[in-house]
Amino acid sequence: MDWRTASDRDAAIRLDNVSVCYRMPRERVASLKEHAMRWLQRRTQSDEFWALRDANLSVERGQVVGIIGKNGAGKSTLLKVIARVLRPTTGRVRIAGAVAPLLEVGAGFHPELTGRENIFLNGALLGFTRAEMRAKFDRIVDFAELWEFIDAPLRTFSSGMVARLGFAIATDAEPDILLLDEVLSVGDAAFQRKSFERILSFRTFGATILFVSHNLDAVKSMCERTIWLDRGRIAADDQASAVVEEYQYGGLGLETRQRAAGPTAEQRWGTRRIEIADVRIKNGNGAEEAIFATGDSLTLEIDYWAHQPTAAPTFGMGIHRHDGVHLTGPNTTFSNFPLPTLEGRGTVTFAIPRLPMLEGLYHISVSVHATNDPEMYDYHDRCYPFRVVNANGCRERYGLVSVRGVWSHTRR
Amino acid sequence: MQTVSDFYDSAQRPPAMLEELREVWRYRDLLAQLIERNIKVRYKRSVLGLAWTMLNPLLMMAILSIVFSNLFRITLEHYPVYVLSALVLWNFFSQATLTAMTELAWGNSLLQRIYVPRTIFAISAVGTGLINLLFALAPLAVIMLAIGVPLRPALILLPVPILLTAMFALGVGLALSILAASFADVVDIYHVALTAWLYLTPIIYPQEIVPAHLQWFFRLNPMYYLLETFRQPIYAGVLPALETLAPASAIAVSALVIGWWFFARNADGLAYRI
Repeated sequence: MDWRTASDRDAAIRLDNVSVCYRMPRERVASLKEHAMRWLQRRTQSDEFWALRDANLSVERGQVVGIIGKNGAGKSTLLKVIARVLRPTTGRVRIAGAVAPLLEVGAGFHPELTGRENIFLNGALLGFTRAEMRAKFDRIVDFAELWEFIDAPLRTFSSGMVARLGFAIATDAEPDILLLDEVLSVGDAAFQRKSFERILSFRTFGATILFVSHNLDAVKSMCERTIWLDRGRIAADDQASAVVEEYQYGGLGLETRQRAAGPTAEQRWGTRRIEIADVRIKNGNGAEEAIFATGDSLTLEIDYWAHQPTAAPTFGMGIHRHDGVHLTGPNTTFSNFPLPTLEGRGTVTFAIPRLPMLEGLYHISVSVHATNDPEMYDYHDRCYPFRVVNANGCRERYGLVSVRGVWSHTRR
Repeated sequence: MQTVSDFYDSAQRPPAMLEELREVWRYRDLLAQLIERNIKVRYKRSVLGLAWTMLNPLLMMAILSIVFSNLFRITLEHYPVYVLSALVLWNFFSQATLTAMTELAWGNSLLQRIYVPRTIFAISAVGTGLINLLFALAPLAVIMLAIGVPLRPALILLPVPILLTAMFALGVGLALSILAASFADVVDIYHVALTAWLYLTPIIYPQEIVPAHLQWFFRLNPMYYLLETFRQPIYAGVLPALETLAPASAIAVSALVIGWWFFARNADGLAYRI
């Protein structure tokens, strides 16, 4: 093929502007009868969900690439596009070499057939001929350690045994491209070590490996390069340790940058008599910052715009941890900081001298409302994120906050 | 290793129908194993095993013979052969189409993970049905000899109606299986439809018991033509008449083309479901 003779001759995988869109029916329509009725009434609606957006990727032959990201970020979709299971909605995928994707544990097995029969059936599903499978058979059973049970029906196997068998079949090959989706959690500790070693051995054959995992340490130790997917987009693609660290501590990634742009319609309510025009989170040096250490100082600046003279409003802020725990909710009234009648533009500042919270992702809310009646002027709900990391000598790991207590000891 | 061809380019793609044919040929070993599995699993679960395939239509035939010749006084010569010949073909069609649906449902979890030509599940269902049909032909031959219906040279032509019915079953099975993958009630609806279809087709009763002014109704039924082409060589010992063979062939070819097209058009969507 022409593209392989060009400069990227050694590319095993190439994705050009690949997007994948899932169509999700707005309401679950499980029956044909219902579907027919909806169709007649022209009410078949579905939502689009872009699992992968404009992914550009080129992987050289022999590279081991980790893929990290939250659940739903598009990791499995990326593997499926490469494995030819999904056709990209737009864009182009080119693969040079045989791809051996790993079966989900137990998929493709039949409970009534024996272990032996299942090995041949599973092999055929992976594209091997019977003759090829005969040659592999002993090795597979050796690796899975299932000689005693091999002629028993699969329904008598434990789930661990089935998992071992599935792994042994799928990896008994020397594929050019190996796709691994969270497989290192198969079986007991001894088998996990064994499977880990087998995957490492593929590297020596020069196989290209794509490795999806939530185990960041495994990604760091196995992969030279790592791709971070965030909501279907490639947020970072670089040296493994750098990307993993960025993912773990640093960058809030696209999420932060997008959210920092301001609240969405659902995150904002109020009459806008006084409007909150801009919010900035700054560090001790007065620079905008998204990453703090426990004990750092943080300053919140709230720019307002009072469209008409408004007497004595109350400004407030709140901090939630990403799991929804409400940490604090101070406001100007609680703090006996009365504001004058406001008109036009100005800035209200809230300074936190020492952040008490431990490592985690936090979101700030800001509000301005009337002090003596329940009118909310403007509320921005949890749309200003920042991250607290373990640094600056704070080594505490348990609970929510550091109370900065002091230990002492006396001997009696 | 031939898991996936050595070069894959999503932008360069032959027409879906041709690509699928090529891939099915590449995965022919899987096809053989799926058929083998279906046969094995079926006989592992039942005590009578293989004998059941042959006994089932025989018992059905016995019951129908008693009911029809004693209660309804239908005096059709060699009625057991008349009914059994149609029943084995009907069973082949209904089983193949039903199996196509369950096969794709089983394969669907795989299709989310690995590439396998997707028509292979319906094809293996029809293949399994063909093997079972061959087994069921043995007791049919025995009955023919037992009640004095001679085995005549026209039987040599039997592979033609069998092939036509297989094509029809594959077309219907492909279309139904992709519908069943989306809608849970398709299998139930089809079960009911099959029962109605069975009684609307002259399988267990002679065509002549229906009044002449309603005979046109049979001619709307694709299975009528396929059954007639199959039954004529067995029951009457004559070659199928052109006025049944021609429509039967047309029906088989168009069902296969339409079913395959409908399947190929919707099959890419299978893996998108989450």
